[in-house]
Amino acid sequence: MEQVAGDVGSFQVKVRKKARYVNENLCTGCGACAEKCPTMVVDVFNAGLGNRKAIYKYFPQGIPSVFTIDATACRQLGQGKKCGVCAKVCQAGAIDYEQKDTTVELDVGAVVLATGYEVFDPSVIPEYGYDRIANVVTALEFERLLSASGPTAGHLDRPSELALEREIEEAQKELKKLQRQVSQLEEKHGKPSSEIVRQFQSGGLGESEDLRKWALLAQDLSALDGRFQSMTHRKASASAARKLAFIQCVGSRDFRFNRFCSSYCCMHSVKEAMIAHEHDNGVSSSIFCMDLRAVGRGFEEYKLRGGKQANIRYVRGRVAEITEDEAQNPVIWYESTVSRQVVHETFDLVVLATACVPSAGTSDLARLLRLELDENGFFKTDPLAPLNTSRPGVFVCGCAQGPMDIPESVAQASSAAARAAEIVAPARQAVG
Amino acid sequence: MVSNDVLVIGGGIAGIQAALDLAEMGIQVHMVERLPSIGGKMAQLDKTFPTNDCAI
Ligand SMILES: Cc1cc2nc3c(=O)[nH]c(=O)nc-3n(C[C@H](O)[C@H](O)[C@H](O)COP(=O)(O)OP(=O)(O)OC[C@H]3O[C@@H](n4cnc5c(N)ncnc54)[C@H](O)[C@@H]3O)c2cc1C
Ligand code: SF4
Ligand code: SF4
Repeated sequence: MEQVAGDVGSFQVKVRKKARYVNENLCTGCGACAEKCPTMVVDVFNAGLGNRKAIYKYFPQGIPSVFTIDATACRQLGQGKKCGVCAKVCQAGAIDYEQKDTTVELDVGAVVLATGYEVFDPSVIPEYGYDRIANVVTALEFERLLSASGPTAGHLDRPSELALEREIEEAQKELKKLQRQVSQLEEKHGKPSSEIVRQFQSGGLGESEDLRKWALLAQDLSALDGRFQSMTHRKASASAARKLAFIQCVGSRDFRFNRFCSSYCCMHSVKEAMIAHEHDNGVSSSIFCMDLRAVGRGFEEYKLRGGKQANIRYVRGRVAEITEDEAQNPVIWYESTVSRQVVHETFDLVVLATACVPSAGTSDLARLLRLELDENGFFKTDPLAPLNTSRPGVFVCGCAQGPMDIPESVAQASSAAARAAEIVAPARQAVG
Repeated sequence: MVSNDVLVIGGGIAGIQAALDLAEMGIQVHMVERLPSIGGKMAQLDKTFPTNDCAI
């Protein structure tokens, strides 16, 4: 949204419609373009745990069901190189590299803000090691690991193993390349590499640059091969994550970051622990919390059911630090409020229940619409009319107003719709 | 002149619900979403509490 004029009953709004570089009316969503696209990009939808192509659909069931080119990553659009692969494979002729952003002008009687929230970035809490320790993930990343359509097809593979897999793949490519080069040299000279390496190491190779290169290449090859063997060995002995820890209030109820409670994270940790246990009955979970907030219809029962049926242990206390052992297992240090001692415990995977923070762009929108924000940066509302923003005709629902779960967001959305309708409906009757 | 249309900014679960309700009342709704697909965070969730039903 770029510009707003007018007032309740008639706001004139200018919206920039971003170019997809794909004609929405022609694209059938077949995906042939993405299959052939040579450019890999980190997949934001999968919380960075997988890759996608430069031409993509945000997620498989995404609506509208059309593809979009990520212009910054695309070779043709962003990198100034010749590519055009997607245009060649698209049978519908939908690709349009010339498409431009356009401006749409709207006249609306009321506005409903539903811009949601962002997940708190836990890397600002150094003691939890989120950006250092591979097997410490956010709850949203964990949702993607649990998902059958996610990067691991629902297997609880640890991120350290996923990284290992990628390393193995790369090493394999490099290995093939080196092997080819070395065997060409062996053929050319009619000698095994081992002989050359031996001569090289004993200093008896003489001045020949060619032979020296060969010896170095052969040495690289055997070093890489050793690394490759040990990586595949490690991979073979790796097992899925079974002992899980969940840490509550990461960035919430913490005076350094946000004072408020994010309200839904206690419940989503219970949920994630239950689903992990459904996938694999050997999974056990420890939820570290100051108190577990199960305020909502059926929530307390849900929590107890999780404890009984899904191997969940609730541990009272705030985690002080997460470290990592040699096997890349996260180790949690905390004070046991039962034994009154500082204890530590090793887990396969740690999930951080991160806070719900205002969505990026909230302050820009507030400026455009001339709205006030509350002390936490969400849209400010009237305590007695919780859908009203500081401006008549503009309503807010869902997490744009503050942390809340889905049932509450949906209830608010219906109310906000009704409030907006009150403004525009009389006009509708007058017209027709 | 009062306009008959409503603008919904954000196509997560809240925006979708508001837009559907308005459309059902016969009101023309314009939805603005910054990402290529609607669905918001809920689309990234596997299943949801308290029922453990699949998300979107
Ligand atoms: C890990 C995790 C698990 C959860 N599990 C559950 C659960 O099991 N059950 C439950 O009830 N709740 C759960 N929640 C909470 C749930 O995600 C939220 O309640 C819900 O998604 C809120 O919906 P929303 O539409 O308000 O916001 P969002 O889903 O954030 O949607 C906002 C939309 O607006 C768009 N947008 C933002 N800014 C702009 C802008 N300036 N212009 C245009 N568009 C914009 C965004 O791209 C997005 O599509 C979970 C949350 C997390 C983090
Ligand atoms: S752009 Fe063309 S190839 Fe790609 S999904 Fe759409 S129709 Fe298929
Ligand atoms: S819902 Fe639970 S985890 Fe989330 S902030 Fe509140 S108490 Fe902490």
